[in-house]
Amino acid sequence: MNPLRDYELNLTRRQLFGRGALGLGTATMAQLLGSEALAQTPASPDGLHHPAKAKRVIYLFMSGGPSQQDMWDHKPKMKEMFGKDLPEHVRDGQRITGMTAGQKRLPLCPSKYDFQKYDNNDQGVWVSELLPHTAKVAKELCVVHSTFTEAINHDPAVTYIQTGSQIPGRPSLGSWLSYGLGRMNEDLPGYVVMHAKTNFGEQSLFNRLWGPGFLSSEHQGVLLRSQGDPVLYLNNPKGVSRTDRRAQLNALAALDETQHDQFGDPEILARIKQHEMAYRMQTSVPELMDLSDEKDATFTLYGEEARKAGTFAACCLNARRLAERGVRNIQIFHRGWDAHGNLPKEHESQCKDIDQACAALITDLKDRGLLDDTLVVWGGEFGRTAYCQGKLTEKNYGRDHHPRCFTTWMAGGGIKPGITYGRTDDYGYNIVQADGTPMASQPDKDSWTPGSVHIHDLNATILHLLGIDHRKLTYRYQGRDFRLTDIHGHVIKDILL
Amino acid sequence: MTSRIALYATLITAALPGSLLAEEKIDFAREVLPILSNKCFACHGPDTKKAKDLRLDSYAAAIKDRKGTSAIDPDDLEGSELIFRIHDEDDPMPPEEDGKPLTAAEKETLTKWVKQGGKYASHWSFIPPRKEKNAPKTNAIDFYIEARHQQHKPAISFAPKANLPVLARRAALVLTGLPPEPKILDPLLSDQSPEAYQKFIEALLSSSHYGEHQARYWLDAVRYGDTHGLHLDNRRGIFPYRDWVVRAFNENLPLDDFITWQLAGDLLPNPTTTQKIATGFVRMNPTTSEGGAIAAEFQAKNTFDRTETFGTVMLGMTFTCCRCHTHKYDPITHDEYFSLFAFFNSTADQPMDGNKYDHGPVIKAPANPGEWKLLQAFENKKNDAPNPAASFTTTTLIAQELPKPRVTKVLQRGEYHSPSGEALTPNIPAVMGTLPNDAPRNRLGLAQWLTSDDQPLVARVLVNRMWQRIFGYGLVRTPEDFGLQGEQPTHPELLDWLAVELQEKNWDLKHLLRLMVSSRTFQQSSKRRGDLDDPQNRFFAQGPAFRLDAEVIRDIGLWSSGLLDPTMGGEGVKPYQPAGLWKTLMHPGSNTKNYVADKGAKLYRRSLYVYWKRTSPHPMMTLFDAPNREASCVKRSRTSTALQSLALFNETQRIEMGRKLAERIITSAPDDKERLDHLYKLLACRPARDRERTVCLKLLQDLTKRYQSAPADAQALLTAGEAPIDDALPPAQLAAWAQVVTTVLASDIALAVF
Repeated sequence: MNPLRDYELNLTRRQLFGRGALGLGTATMAQLLGSEALAQTPASPDGLHHPAKAKRVIYLFMSGGPSQQDMWDHKPKMKEMFGKDLPEHVRDGQRITGMTAGQKRLPLCPSKYDFQKYDNNDQGVWVSELLPHTAKVAKELCVVHSTFTEAINHDPAVTYIQTGSQIPGRPSLGSWLSYGLGRMNEDLPGYVVMHAKTNFGEQSLFNRLWGPGFLSSEHQGVLLRSQGDPVLYLNNPKGVSRTDRRAQLNALAALDETQHDQFGDPEILARIKQHEMAYRMQTSVPELMDLSDEKDATFTLYGEEARKAGTFAACCLNARRLAERGVRNIQIFHRGWDAHGNLPKEHESQCKDIDQACAALITDLKDRGLLDDTLVVWGGEFGRTAYCQGKLTEKNYGRDHHPRCFTTWMAGGGIKPGITYGRTDDYGYNIVQADGTPMASQPDKDSWTPGSVHIHDLNATILHLLGIDHRKLTYRYQGRDFRLTDIHGHVIKDILL
Repeated sequence: MTSRIALYATLITAALPGSLLAEEKIDFAREVLPILSNKCFACHGPDTKKAKDLRLDSYAAAIKDRKGTSAIDPDDLEGSELIFRIHDEDDPMPPEEDGKPLTAAEKETLTKWVKQGGKYASHWSFIPPRKEKNAPKTNAIDFYIEARHQQHKPAISFAPKANLPVLARRAALVLTGLPPEPKILDPLLSDQSPEAYQKFIEALLSSSHYGEHQARYWLDAVRYGDTHGLHLDNRRGIFPYRDWVVRAFNENLPLDDFITWQLAGDLLPNPTTTQKIATGFVRMNPTTSEGGAIAAEFQAKNTFDRTETFGTVMLGMTFTCCRCHTHKYDPITHDEYFSLFAFFNSTADQPMDGNKYDHGPVIKAPANPGEWKLLQAFENKKNDAPNPAASFTTTTLIAQELPKPRVTKVLQRGEYHSPSGEALTPNIPAVMGTLPNDAPRNRLGLAQWLTSDDQPLVARVLVNRMWQRIFGYGLVRTPEDFGLQGEQPTHPELLDWLAVELQEKNWDLKHLLRLMVSSRTFQQSSKRRGDLDDPQNRFFAQGPAFRLDAEVIRDIGLWSSGLLDPTMGGEGVKPYQPAGLWKTLMHPGSNTKNYVADKGAKLYRRSLYVYWKRTSPHPMMTLFDAPNREASCVKRSRTSTALQSLALFNETQRIEMGRKLAERIITSAPDDKERLDHLYKLLACRPARDRERTVCLKLLQDLTKRYQSAPADAQALLTAGEAPIDDALPPAQLAAWAQVVTTVLASDIALAVF
């Protein structure tokens, strides 16, 4: 008998249908084999909810909270307000963290950096001198100045933006995508996570940020590492060759087939298939990581840093290589943005880490015709305050966490290129209406206010571009149909092509 | 002739069940309530606020006159608005945009139910369980499993009994998480009598590995971890709680005490040290001390977590919805949630953990088996020794009540800064019963209610999870949800019988497990049946078959290779782990940013004792579906992935197990055939089958040649791990055998129950 052949024959029509490259709810192995997961099929098992603009997503996550004030959200009037108190009406009841709650004053802190206006496809976009390269791809970016959240501390805020809940236990965005979309490449993991090096490793990351929560654990992100094996346990131990492994796997398949003959458990056949995929990964991953086929022009574009494993530039280059190979769900985490003090020194270093590579990634994807169907997202878990934390001088300052507005950008994959969205007040503290007048009330997650992008709205929009209705991608757990966006989220149509 | 036919016809008619003559009576709780809950309650359920809005969660509400019509009209059942609206094509209920239309069958069920009177009844799990009068007295498992076999089309019966090696292995794995020791296996295989099997089971139940294995499921449920879980994710000293759980199972502490001590050991009269250690349960929630975090916010979040985990673990109920509003499905109000919350809102621990190992209150607690022995002797008054607690070398987090309880009010929308209304008295949701009259309004009173005879949920929830451990799937397939949205039990009478049996037999866990593994149901062959259309084994008409959990997979390797260190308890241990996994994630201020693997015996302890860092547990655990223990888990997923395959063949400890097991079998017998039989005996309780032998010996032959011609490769392979190499064995032979063993350890006989 040929168990794999039998296994293919055993698939039902609906399951086969679900296996198509873009079939929403591409049946997991467990589903195919009728195990417990069978009861759990996504809301729409027979295809995407609507045509997808993006086939894949690359999420550049800036952990710690980049300062919108110093990078993207130009506030020239702040110059005149140096050192003055944040007016109460601007603070408008905002709770502040325990780190600055005890400060006697909240002195306003203009950015020390020069901003320049760059042409985009609309009114132009101001970009600070910290991001000279990114500024050059302004025509590809949709810069959102009005992203907001409720969380004011890292652990809850990062958990919130990545899992839709401030309390641990929910599946991550990437796991939801894996669950909803399945994979296109059979020789590489469907959901890849990279951690980029930083000079300021402040703040922690947590497995839950790429973890499956209550989804089946096959949807957890696979770490692509710069130290040791690129994928955990990828390489054979010393003294074991590829031929040896082949012989072992052949023997293993024969052993498992005898067991299958005895007991007929279809899980055994699923496992044989996974052993074969592992064997293929042992060549596909090194091939992915081997940059020797990259031309010098690549390193001119991304910078020489891209040759050093684990740098943000190297991660971006890997991201492009993964995208080319059909991996649809890629996340890079870059830490070190939590600048409570010495912001200039830290952010200069941080921006240097990412600036050229971000621009290179956009340019590179575009040159290769991949940008149209690859969504790139850049942003952190919250922004930073308009007022100074600690001692304020013109040259040095720090900023605390700020939830009410922060800047995120997106590009490609169905996003309108070269626009900005959302506006903040002269302090970069509150979201205001398009004409600069205050909102009637602070935007909140319960009902969408035009011009604002709650983190649930951001996630709803990401899912939308990938062909998923965020209200319909659900998983029944504890009696409830859970969603990434909980009971919130609004697709921001204004920024879509 | 004619008369005979007529007579025949009369007899047939009389014999027919009522269902074929009259319309079948609809069972509200079983058939109707799930439909109402899933399709209607989101808008017409317990959380419907406005008085004018229709509610369908009670009879009184459903018959209410609403502008001349009622959803259910007792005077004109056929004319009930409910029937009209669910069939209304222009403006159907539920509305099309909700995306949850009723199926034709559901419409029919609702229609029949309304026509039959539209009467309501309680959800099954809120009614205290009872044993049926006709049930067998000693063990009703097979009786009820067999009864339902008739409902399979075509009717089926039990599968044949599994052969003895399979059965022995299965029983040992589900009870102790390890294959059976030869010293208890061999007598069983040579005797084969039912008495020998019972003796075998008793040996398993009295093994200390039993408590270790059973404890691990509990630790998943209570989300046990060795770190705080949030932000810095620093070390936390609470392992004596874990060790207490193991000991409690080994000593077969009645489950009512087991629950009471954990919830409220500190509130018992003159609590012992052991009872206080058990209250670590209350302290198990992840905590933070992130700079800038607001204490009041985390007081609320910590208590949410405790309340909701309590719901999942003890009641199989999900309360998370009613943190923000009255439950959409289950009859639990927003106020009731906060009355339950109030039980947990007055502990003395500060909400911010200070990133401290001994975030108080703590007590001195035993750090090793020796210290436990002293404590036990003292508490059993076996000697006159003074209380040994002062000499203990570690501390553990415990629960303690504030002298004056915190005021608990409803938090509007679950926001910590929006308390409203009157101060609440701790209480339980009305739908689940009432607190005993004399019960204090604190965690002890809560425990008294949980363990009282008429408590509808606890015993059912516990026996369901036992069943799940033994059979792979629960009688209720949603062990985390016994509410209206959960699945109904496949065998409700059996679930109830087992629940009552647990209560009647002094909450004796071993007794229940003994009933299960002694049943014909458990002893069936798991070979897939052609006459059975039941991929999820809902009829239990074949034996259990499932992939083993991460811990068991690792432990089998350690045990079979002779590496397993049987030492019990103590601080979590750190086996080999790829470099940098913690460092790349962690804050420089964290004291868990550097992973330093242990040396020596601690590398080989049972996986239960592996150090559990919640934000980054050991990859050999998470790759094989272990949860991260940040949230309660009462059912693990079971996946099959390529990453598991890589880990099985390439992880350092797997290779080390392979080579040590190779040494063990090479030295056990003079020829390769016998050696292979020895390997299979350890892992599968039987000698190798012909084809297995052919395959393995061929691989051995090929690899031996290969390593003979490449001695450096053989040497390299044999250096994996710390364990010494047996120099007396030729390296090529050892390396070749090691790779054969690693292969067999990656096969089904080392990964699955079958």
